[in-house]
Amino acid sequence: MELALDATRSPHVGEFLEKFVARTARLMNAQGAAAAIFRGPEIESLAAHGRLDGGTAHQEALRRGLQTALEKGAEEIRTARAATAFGKEAARTLGLNGAKLTLAQFDGNDAAPLGIVCLAREEPELSWEDRRLLRALVSHASLTLENFRRFSQLERSRKQWVEDIDAISDYIVVHDRAWRIVRMNRSLASHIGAPPSALVGQPMSRLDALVNSPARVPCPLCREVERSHEEYVQASMKRLFLVSTSRIGGPHDEDLRTIHVLKDITDRREAERRYRELFDSIQEGLFFATPDGRFLDVNDAMVRMLGYAGREELLQADVRDHLYLAPENRLRFLRAVESRGVLRNYEEPLRRKDGSILHTLQNITAVRDAEGNVTQIRGLMLDVTEQKTFQAQLQRERDFNQKILNTTRSMIFVLDTAGLVSYANRRCFEAGYREEELIGARLVDWVHAPQRADFEAALETTAHGVQVDNLELPIRRSDGSTGHFSVSLSPMRDEQNAVNSIVVVMTDITDAAILQAKLAHAEKMATIGQLVSGVAHEVNNPLAAILGFTDLLLESTDVSAPAKTQLQIILQEAQRTKDIVQDLLSFARQRPARRELVQLNTVLRQTLKLRTYDFSSHGVEVSVSLESGLAPVMGDAQQLQQVFLNILNNAYDAIQEAHRRGRIEIRTEQRGASVELTFSDNGTGITEPSRIFDPFFTTKGAGKGTGLGLSICYGIVRAHGGEIQCWNRAPSEGSVFLVRLPAASEAAAAAGVEGRR
Amino acid sequence: MKPATGRAALPILLIEDEPSVTAFLRAALERSGYSVVPASSGAAGLELLESGEFRGVISDIRMPGSVNGAEVHAWIQGHRPELRSRIILISGDTANPETQGFLERSGTPCIEKPFRVQKFISLVEETFGEP
Repeated sequence: MELALDATRSPHVGEFLEKFVARTARLMNAQGAAAAIFRGPEIESLAAHGRLDGGTAHQEALRRGLQTALEKGAEEIRTARAATAFGKEAARTLGLNGAKLTLAQFDGNDAAPLGIVCLAREEPELSWEDRRLLRALVSHASLTLENFRRFSQLERSRKQWVEDIDAISDYIVVHDRAWRIVRMNRSLASHIGAPPSALVGQPMSRLDALVNSPARVPCPLCREVERSHEEYVQASMKRLFLVSTSRIGGPHDEDLRTIHVLKDITDRREAERRYRELFDSIQEGLFFATPDGRFLDVNDAMVRMLGYAGREELLQADVRDHLYLAPENRLRFLRAVESRGVLRNYEEPLRRKDGSILHTLQNITAVRDAEGNVTQIRGLMLDVTEQKTFQAQLQRERDFNQKILNTTRSMIFVLDTAGLVSYANRRCFEAGYREEELIGARLVDWVHAPQRADFEAALETTAHGVQVDNLELPIRRSDGSTGHFSVSLSPMRDEQNAVNSIVVVMTDITDAAILQAKLAHAEKMATIGQLVSGVAHEVNNPLAAILGFTDLLLESTDVSAPAKTQLQIILQEAQRTKDIVQDLLSFARQRPARRELVQLNTVLRQTLKLRTYDFSSHGVEVSVSLESGLAPVMGDAQQLQQVFLNILNNAYDAIQEAHRRGRIEIRTEQRGASVELTFSDNGTGITEPSRIFDPFFTTKGAGKGTGLGLSICYGIVRAHGGEIQCWNRAPSEGSVFLVRLPAASEAAAAAGVEGRR
Repeated sequence: MKPATGRAALPILLIEDEPSVTAFLRAALERSGYSVVPASSGAAGLELLESGEFRGVISDIRMPGSVNGAEVHAWIQGHRPELRSRIILISGDTANPETQGFLERSGTPCIEKPFRVQKFISLVEETFGEP
């Protein structure tokens, strides 16, 4: 048999066709017979017998001829010339020139014929019986072919199905009610290591090893056999399967089929596990949330950040109102997500479970549905509380430092190592310096010229890393006046510990210096007092003897009259010495002063009375302006009178020296808690106002004064808790003395306290 | 109180460290008719006071050595009650607050150096009686 048949189709068709042509040729008394079955225009199967059988070329011609004959079509059975039916070419190749052929068609259910059969007979014309026989043969064959075709289709689709399920990588096994394998796909079979056909009919327990099942159950994959569907995850030694089971019932109980599909989800699970691990191990908070504010999933970091005990607690908690500090914050966030879709470094303070504040930085992505509505919000959240706190602390510190720099009464400069100003605090500008004259300028230029070398030396020292403290320098103020400044220089170092700038703090201590001078003066006065007291005592002894013996001699009758005249001179000079010493002593005298309420206006009037005669006789005009209701002071009226008298005497002397019409103005005034008395004269003024209260300092001619008067005044006023100052008015316009005494407290004034001796 | 005549015969104890002052005081007193026993220090004065009888005591307040005028005064208060109101003190300076306080408390008559002889003699007569 040379007729090739497509094995994949129906091997039975070819066989049938062979038999059919042989049998038909015999029954129809034909020398040759051939038949072809078509599938569409193509010949599916071909069979030839007798003189129509032959070699390859012959077979080809036969194919063409039969194809041509089918195309021409015609009635059910016909007789035609071979050249007409097959075409000349085919007819010649087949050696059928001039011969007549009998042709019949196989009819199928469809309109198209299934195939064609042709007979080569000696007697081409068919008798009625022949015709009836041929029709019967062809009709029977048509039926058979139709069946073959159906069967083949069935076979094909079965094969297709097997191929299809074999192509599935998931494991598929079907078993019947008796737990026997009905089908199994190739991937499962190859996993087990046997061809599928070898496994069909085997018990399901063959698969025990697949899922590590103990061999006690009839099917290692069936769990709840009552259910038509079940799905669960089954772990084996190494793999993880998702087992999906379907149970399909047939018309009979016996037809029940159980189909197990095992999906290997090991890799998926692994991927999921890794993803989860990454999700949870990440230090940033990750979350999935719905737009209405529910968390769908959060990682551990997120749970930790928000201070919840666990993921479940956070997922179940309704945090919408708690999380945001204000509802409008949440709305603002949602609006931003809605409009922008992606938020980068979105800053939002959130509230932890315990109420404390968490500062976050968020990166948000919105997930939208087909309509563009946000369905999910995914985000990454950073805890920046520490940074915020640190930042805030830094800010506070900076503010604090700024405040210090701005509110200190000292001027603070930063100089580079060359001594140029690179920074000056606000105080500098308040003090009147202008920025453009300070920044970049040499600070040394503000130092009083003779002391610049000192400042330069201090700069040099500081540049070498040594602090210089309390350097006292005269510095030019912005108004051009010179003030006394305390200057401290500190080195400022860079990371390498090298001095890269110098901080200079300058404090105007002019007032403090004055105070210091006053204190020094007071101290000097006390020392002088002690000294004077000692000297007076020492002088008094010899003086007592001189005065005493002079007295005795003057009383003596043995002394001549001229000698007594000289003794009288000794007596006078001794007397004068005594007065000087007395003056010294009253300066040094430290007897406790009386402390009683004193009306200064009264004391002043009494004092003036003492000098009225002198003043009027020498043409000195005295104008008095006393504030009525002046508060009393606590003090010693007699001492204060001494003070006023001293000042008046001083003024009187100055006027005498000036040789002009004298004028003294006296004024009392209440100034806050103090009472002020001013004595202005138009005398010569004071040569050195700063020394006027020093003991023994006098500008008066010899014999006119000890120079102790104003020192005594100073001591008395200080002892009263007050102060005494003096200054010159405009040049040669005289001087002013100011006595300031603290007013007696109201309580003391009310009680009318009497001082005791 | 002993009769004035008996005490009047007694000398005045003069305690003064300064020889020139002692000399002039002694001259003034003797010229006025008083007899004088001088002592050049407080300690020497106390020694004389322990054994001798005196009409009164004139003492400088400030003296070198262990015993000053105030201490002499205090000793007399304790040991020689009959001389309590027969003390005259001489001060070189009254500026010392201690001296001041002492004088105020005791009420003892005091004369400040330098002084005129007449003033001194009248204080002596007032305190010890006329010679």
